[in-house]
Amino acid sequence: MGDKKKWFSLDFGVSKGEAVSTNSSCGCGSTSGGCGSHNAPPKKEPVASSCGCGSTSDGCGSHTMPKNEYLITAEEFDAAVEGTMVGETRKDGFQQVFDVKMDRRTAFRKLTASLLIGAGAVQTSCSAIAGEETKEKAQIDWEEQFKGNYKLMTQEEKQATVDRLVRSYQLRKKENIKMSATDASKDVLFGYAFNISKCQGYMNCISACVEENNQDRNSQMQYIRIHEMKDGQGFKFNEADDNYYHEVPAAGHFYMGTQCFHCDDPPCVDVCPVEATWREEDGLVVIDYDWCIGCRYCMAACPYDGRRFNWSKPEVPEAEVNKNQHYLGNRMRKKGVMEKCTFCIQRSRSGNDPACVEACPTGARIFGNLLDPDSTIRWVLENKQVFRLKEDLGTEPKFWYFMD
Amino acid sequence: MKVARLTYVLVLLCCVFSCKHKEGEYHSLNEKIETESKKYHGTDISSETYIGDIQTIEIKEGTHTFLIPERKSQIKSYACIECHSKPLNAMQNGSEIQKAHWDIKLNHANENTMNCASCHDGNDMNNLNSLTGNAIDFNKSFQLCAQCHSSQFEDWKGGAHGKNIGGWSQPRAAMTCVNCHNPHEPQIASKWPVQFNTQKVKERE
Amino acid sequence: METFRAFISMVKDSIGYITHGSKVYHVWMFFLSLIILIGMYFYAIQLEEGLSATGMTDRVSWGLYISNFTFLVGVAAAAVMLVMPTYVLKDIDFKQAVLIGEGLAVAALIMCLAFVVADMGGPSVLWHMIPGIGVFNFPSSMLTWDIIVLNGYLFINITIPLYILFRHYQGKEAKAKVYVPGSILSVLWAVGIHLVTAFLYEGLQARPFWNNALLGPRFLASAFAAGPALIILVLAAIRKFSEFKIEDKTIKKIALIVTVAAQINLIMLVSELFKEFYAPTHHSESAYYLFFGLDGKTALLPWIWTAIPLNVLATILLTFHKLRNNLNILYICCFMLFIAIWIEKGFGLIVPGFIPGPYGKIAEYTPTWVEIWVTLGIWALGAFIFTMLAKTSIGIELGKLRYKKKRAVQTETT
Repeated sequence: MGDKKKWFSLDFGVSKGEAVSTNSSCGCGSTSGGCGSHNAPPKKEPVASSCGCGSTSDGCGSHTMPKNEYLITAEEFDAAVEGTMVGETRKDGFQQVFDVKMDRRTAFRKLTASLLIGAGAVQTSCSAIAGEETKEKAQIDWEEQFKGNYKLMTQEEKQATVDRLVRSYQLRKKENIKMSATDASKDVLFGYAFNISKCQGYMNCISACVEENNQDRNSQMQYIRIHEMKDGQGFKFNEADDNYYHEVPAAGHFYMGTQCFHCDDPPCVDVCPVEATWREEDGLVVIDYDWCIGCRYCMAACPYDGRRFNWSKPEVPEAEVNKNQHYLGNRMRKKGVMEKCTFCIQRSRSGNDPACVEACPTGARIFGNLLDPDSTIRWVLENKQVFRLKEDLGTEPKFWYFMD
Repeated sequence: MKVARLTYVLVLLCCVFSCKHKEGEYHSLNEKIETESKKYHGTDISSETYIGDIQTIEIKEGTHTFLIPERKSQIKSYACIECHSKPLNAMQNGSEIQKAHWDIKLNHANENTMNCASCHDGNDMNNLNSLTGNAIDFNKSFQLCAQCHSSQFEDWKGGAHGKNIGGWSQPRAAMTCVNCHNPHEPQIASKWPVQFNTQKVKERE
Repeated sequence: METFRAFISMVKDSIGYITHGSKVYHVWMFFLSLIILIGMYFYAIQLEEGLSATGMTDRVSWGLYISNFTFLVGVAAAAVMLVMPTYVLKDIDFKQAVLIGEGLAVAALIMCLAFVVADMGGPSVLWHMIPGIGVFNFPSSMLTWDIIVLNGYLFINITIPLYILFRHYQGKEAKAKVYVPGSILSVLWAVGIHLVTAFLYEGLQARPFWNNALLGPRFLASAFAAGPALIILVLAAIRKFSEFKIEDKTIKKIALIVTVAAQINLIMLVSELFKEFYAPTHHSESAYYLFFGLDGKTALLPWIWTAIPLNVLATILLTFHKLRNNLNILYICCFMLFIAIWIEKGFGLIVPGFIPGPYGKIAEYTPTWVEIWVTLGIWALGAFIFTMLAKTSIGIELGKLRYKKKRAVQTETT
């Protein structure tokens, strides 16, 4: 982390020496601590109220503090126990998606949870006997709670938060995930074309999308909708069925898929009060789930029904979790944040097709680089009769429809 | 007076800074694509790994060069001449008539337009047969289809018809006709959608 | 130092003053506290379960909370109707009413902010919005404008009455030089908060029901009807329950404001209805849904058909001087108008904006009990705050609360 900090950061789990001596130390964000700051030798003299300085930019595996260094007196033991207890309350307060011990929360605890966060976190870090893992979790939670907006992070900070999330998942679920933070490549602008004469309404795209992007199974959240429209009636979305269950293609009907169109002038991005959603250089409109405050203004602003909200805690059975993740893509979400199609950023940024394109058995979905004159998407745009939905709104979607 | 001037300046500043369009932005997406693709230098992203184990061959059709799956190794009983050791009429009229290919039902156009001989040459079973009697390699069976389905062929070459294999990036690989369509029965049967959303029904009740 | 001591004394005195009162007062405050507690309990449930505890869905993503927020911004803005003549035009009549009006504005604004917080998916990360620590998407997002104007308005409406009350508490006259510029600012600001809130909706090309140039002016007109209507009702209650004298003349003057605003509001309603139904496009579907139902979905009909007759009837009654000058009829009219506009500017504005959805799908919205109780809790919070503010300012204005220098001197010597 550089000298110029863009946001408030706080670190509390620093050197163990301080921790034993008191349970009322205050953490203050420092600018330059690497991993090494956690391995600092313990201070000998007890300090009444010490100030722990660390950094937020260190990776996760850095908490290698030997346990046997501590001599615990009865008094300190009591203080430590207290710390542990408060620490648990604090953990309860967190609304992190990976918090498995949800049911222990009590309603009123939650009301005051945010107030307890600070005190609890400090105490946890300072209690000597709290399990190393608990402490590490608390440290990660703290840093995650007070990290900045991904859009404004430096490369190191991005990597640090990705490392924390991976480590956090490991600690909580005992499973390893792979998370990337690949940035947009130069000379890439993603575009999508949808062939309405080819789509047969099998909905393989929807299933593949749900599995790929770890969408909430309880609410059956889906990014893609396939509208079954009557031939000869024009686009009557209101009369179209987007949740049919009969043999397809139905006679006299055609099918049209909608999802986030990754507008080039996206109204959802303009309205977000905290810049939690933005358009990347390669044209993808993405969301920093951890920065989103859940006001749903973007949802109201989207003319294409492209955005989804996590009304309750999203749940995916552990066995079905797609562990190949991207920070801006399919990583696990929490309740109360927006999410949406990212053209499978975790796939597309590394050259693969989005899951819907791969899953479509008809080849109705075409994806590619708009800046590459030899790409198939460019050929479609230049040689087929293409149109976009609600073009008059001036949102410039990068999602075209065409017919054979 | 001072207050008035100050408010005026403030309002003006507000107007200036709240202007939605930033510098360097294009008037339309098409303009952006056009301008920016002029300085396109290619990317170092490759989709080669996503093609996986599929054996491919490179084909060149017009201005398009891309990969399609190799076909011959996927046909179980290729080479055909291992059975079709004699020309077809010799086999059909000979003493040891053997029934074969009972699973093949021809349902491709009507009988006046097409029969087996429209595509197969009884004298050269290892290759396909163009309308004018030229041999077409099994690996390039699309050339056979393209004789009638010329508009689909155009779309396929460009990428608007057919399914992409691997990723969006270079090298481009696409399925060939027979990867999706059974040449003897090219229509695709209807089937059930793979899923149904029960929550949506509840929401709209 | 003396000023500071006086201020401390005022805070102490007013705390003492608001914790003592008649039986009715205690019952009232107890009742409000109870509702607030119930509201908090339900909010805790909402925090626990997420917003799925509300009736909102991906289809109708804003509901009762944002409806109330929108309406209350109007109420807050209406305080200006009293500020303007009193401070600037030196109209004596309004002077007693104005402190009440500003107290109402403060309470309404706090309720607005509470409703916004209640609507958030992640209240624990609300600090992302604080300029400096978080990222403030200004000026692109209208929501950031709204945050600025609402908090600014809250600040103005706290400081001006505080200054005046503090002067009066010390037995001095408030200096016009100090508060008049603030008042002028607050007048402009009040128009600003309501326009900005209207722009919040007006600027969404995705929602044709809101994306309509009349929305801002209609917001203002309805606010200047509903806000002073509420003030009249509150003044009537204060007259009844305290010794604070409010002359009939004052109430009648405010009634005139209500009348004119209600008339303008009605004209705009007619204009809107004409546009939607004379030449209906598919952009009129929301209006069809609101007034007649769409595809057999009719959840809003009882609401809007309560609001429209109430609105029309109240406006007609108020138009006649004779009826308006009869205080009992006036109170009834004000109540009707208040309810009508609460429906119209709340439910009747927010929900149909989402129906039908971008692709014509209709999913109706019905608030759940969690939502209703949280809403009631926030209203009770507003009433609680307002009662405290009003009681203090009445106490000071009546001279019951006065700074006693002697006591200060005494404590110093001992």
